[in-house]
Amino acid sequence: MASLDTNDVLVARKAYNAGLVQDVSKERAYWFPALVLALLLLLPVLQFTGNYNYLIHLVLFTASYVVMASGWNILGGFTGYISLGHNVFFAVGGYFAGMIFARYGISTIILAPFAGLVAGLLGYLVGQITLRVRGPSFIISSLALVMIFRILFENWDFVGGAAGVSLKANDLPVQWAKLPYYYAFVIMAAFSVWAAYRIKHSKFGLGLRAISKDEIKAESAGINTRFYKTLAFAISAFFVGMAGAVWGEYLTYIRPNIFLIILVSVNMVLICILGGKGTIAGPVIGAVLLVAFNEFFVATLGASEINILATGLIMMLCLMFFPLGIVGTLARLRKLPRILNWD
Amino acid sequence: MSGLLEVSNVVAGYGDGPAILDGANLSVQPGKVHCIIGPNGAGKSTLLKTIVGMLKIRQGSVTFKGESLKGKRPDQILRRGICFVPQERALFPKMTVRENLRMGGFSLADKSKLEKRIDEIEERFPILGERRDQHAGTMSGGQQQTLAMARTLILKPEIVMLDEPSLGLAPKIVKEVFSIMRLMADEGITILLVEQNALMGLKHADWGVVLDLGRTLFEGPAAEVLTDPRIQELYLGGKKAA
Amino acid sequence: MAEVIQILILGMALGGVYALMGSGLSLVFGVMRIVNLAHPVLIMAGAYVAYWAARLYGLDPLLTLPIAAIILAATGVILYKLVFEREARSAKYSEMTVLLTFALAMVLEGALGTAFTNTQRVTSPDYATDAFFIGDIFIPKGQLYAGIVSLAIISALALFLKYSRFGYAIRATTQNREAAELLGVNVNFVGLVSFAIGIGLAGAAGSLVSFVFSFFPAKHWEWIAVLMSLVVLGGMGSIFGTVLASFILAVIAAFIGAYFGATWSTLTFFVALFVVLLVRPQGIFGEKPELA
Repeated sequence: MASLDTNDVLVARKAYNAGLVQDVSKERAYWFPALVLALLLLLPVLQFTGNYNYLIHLVLFTASYVVMASGWNILGGFTGYISLGHNVFFAVGGYFAGMIFARYGISTIILAPFAGLVAGLLGYLVGQITLRVRGPSFIISSLALVMIFRILFENWDFVGGAAGVSLKANDLPVQWAKLPYYYAFVIMAAFSVWAAYRIKHSKFGLGLRAISKDEIKAESAGINTRFYKTLAFAISAFFVGMAGAVWGEYLTYIRPNIFLIILVSVNMVLICILGGKGTIAGPVIGAVLLVAFNEFFVATLGASEINILATGLIMMLCLMFFPLGIVGTLARLRKLPRILNWD
Repeated sequence: MSGLLEVSNVVAGYGDGPAILDGANLSVQPGKVHCIIGPNGAGKSTLLKTIVGMLKIRQGSVTFKGESLKGKRPDQILRRGICFVPQERALFPKMTVRENLRMGGFSLADKSKLEKRIDEIEERFPILGERRDQHAGTMSGGQQQTLAMARTLILKPEIVMLDEPSLGLAPKIVKEVFSIMRLMADEGITILLVEQNALMGLKHADWGVVLDLGRTLFEGPAAEVLTDPRIQELYLGGKKAA
Repeated sequence: MAEVIQILILGMALGGVYALMGSGLSLVFGVMRIVNLAHPVLIMAGAYVAYWAARLYGLDPLLTLPIAAIILAATGVILYKLVFEREARSAKYSEMTVLLTFALAMVLEGALGTAFTNTQRVTSPDYATDAFFIGDIFIPKGQLYAGIVSLAIISALALFLKYSRFGYAIRATTQNREAAELLGVNVNFVGLVSFAIGIGLAGAAGSLVSFVFSFFPAKHWEWIAVLMSLVVLGGMGSIFGTVLASFILAVIAAFIGAYFGATWSTLTFFVALFVVLLVRPQGIFGEKPELA
């Protein structure tokens, strides 16, 4: 045992510790998301050449899910609190803006930020209660929230009960009718991705990620975890509420069985898992994939029961074999293409 | 010289994670108290968990009386006479003391033999007899540690491995725990002890082993390890290691 | 006064059924740390077994109960082998399985919906529409029988857990998986068997449910929140707690239903879930401060 030398051991220990830290690629390509955004903003030009309403709808639909999933990701991805009840905020945003639109005719696009704030406030209050518990209990509480709101909205006559309220369609020519909503969603999507990026790289975001890793340690490191995660809940609800606001007017009605079905919140979760929880590009990639899946299933399988089955199956397979999602898995393998590294 | 239990060049870790043990060696001599020391994260607990089959041996070998333990399940290793008392004492908090002792003999098929041995244990450790119908979770830390150690005796093991038995106990209680350990050793049970409190552990041991960076760096008679200046500097609170 | 007793009796009878619906869930959580959101849809599957046995062969749901239990237990074994055996040690396992069982619930709902459509079903043995009368008070036979059978099954389960060797192994694994493994318990096998028993209990509960409630695949979402409120109030993993919570909540819901209407009676469970999480997250009998 003559080999034991104090300095050798110290040097070896340092090298060993360094080996445990994975280095993270710092190369990013911001031009790619910017290019995608520019193309999407120009896309409606196609309407001069023919009827591309369906394509516009698909992009709009995807963008709406980007908004919601990016919002969900702030709580579910960064902070590690999985909510299956975020469609409540979708509904609250939708009903708040929808009711004002129905009564006073103010466009939901203008109302969207305020609807987001209302949803965010509700998120803050709900978070005060449900964020006391972690893990499975939190997930269950989020499910209970959906059930409670479903019963409340179905029995609240002011908002039309189970039948909901129908909203006036705009009177633009059919070729241009979708465009206000299209631009609203594309811009909201761009804003939510940008905001998620800023949050992730702020001190606040660092705190959230610390909570996700080990809440007790985060607390002992001086992070006000209670406030941080409640704020994350509120911000996350804000985005989802904003998406809900415009969605109601786009559909021309608000109704509990559109806004409060579990599939809406499942989709938010599934998008983030598919794309990669806690990443910036994940929700975007996931939303594109989910909408593509949906198109495929509706086109080939039709019935909603099979659609539920297929969505569940994809989610199961993804969780079992692919829990980090596309961005997360590629990043771990260090094969993430530069154009998808937005983190 | 080959020992009762031989660990050679073992590489192991948790799940797909990095290797915590990276070439650990250990030779356990029958009837002796062996104390493994080393800094946090050196792989001390990992070593015990690997021996007992809770973690997979990725490379290297563990043999007990010449038989390889590689790929064996914890219950199979237990049946060969190796008992492990992990850090958290591994009691069943909502079972009574008596039920906990019964669980200690879970692998015994003969029920009457089991009850007889439990009676013997209760005789040897009167506190356990007095509290036989109390839930284990409601006992004091020292009593819980006594129960955990006494429970291993039901199987009449050849090797008992203790992971930080002194953790969270008052100094006076720690002394009791170590005296129980000494008693077990005097009956011929081989002891493998992991202690964060290296000074205390080595004082009660015959043989000292230094584990760091997942490797065995040094081993020798406990008294020698205690007095070695280099070990004092690195591990016994001489100069603080970075 | 008679009215209060009447409501109390109806609530207690339903409580018995809820207890069986929740106990399998609680057992599976205790041993496996799996919050099985697919449990209610598996109860639904049990109800369909009873329904088709009654419709095609005229069998009484109480007679098909063991068959439903066995079919579902076998399903449990398959699910365990395919889905839950992997990675039982991972740190976020419990949280992962909530999402996993949630997805599984969607798969099963979709499968049941595809096979049997979303039509409301109910089995109607003679006793389902009959009642005993004691003075002004009536006791519906269907709910009474269901409650009694349910309590009998739960008692058998409790005795099995308390006194059998395998029951020791299950309890030990529930309380400290690692320690049980170190003492020679084959925890993976214990997990498999407990999972099968838990899902088997869902099947048994399903055949009782088939004549107590009307059902259709999508209804399991409502049951999820109801059952979760039971196990959360009872303290996750404590079967006794679940049973007690079932009676407490069922009686409260019965009173709210009687005085304010059926809609608000369902709401009782959801609000209870929230209040428990707020006031005492570990439930009545839970000891862990929270379920991380």
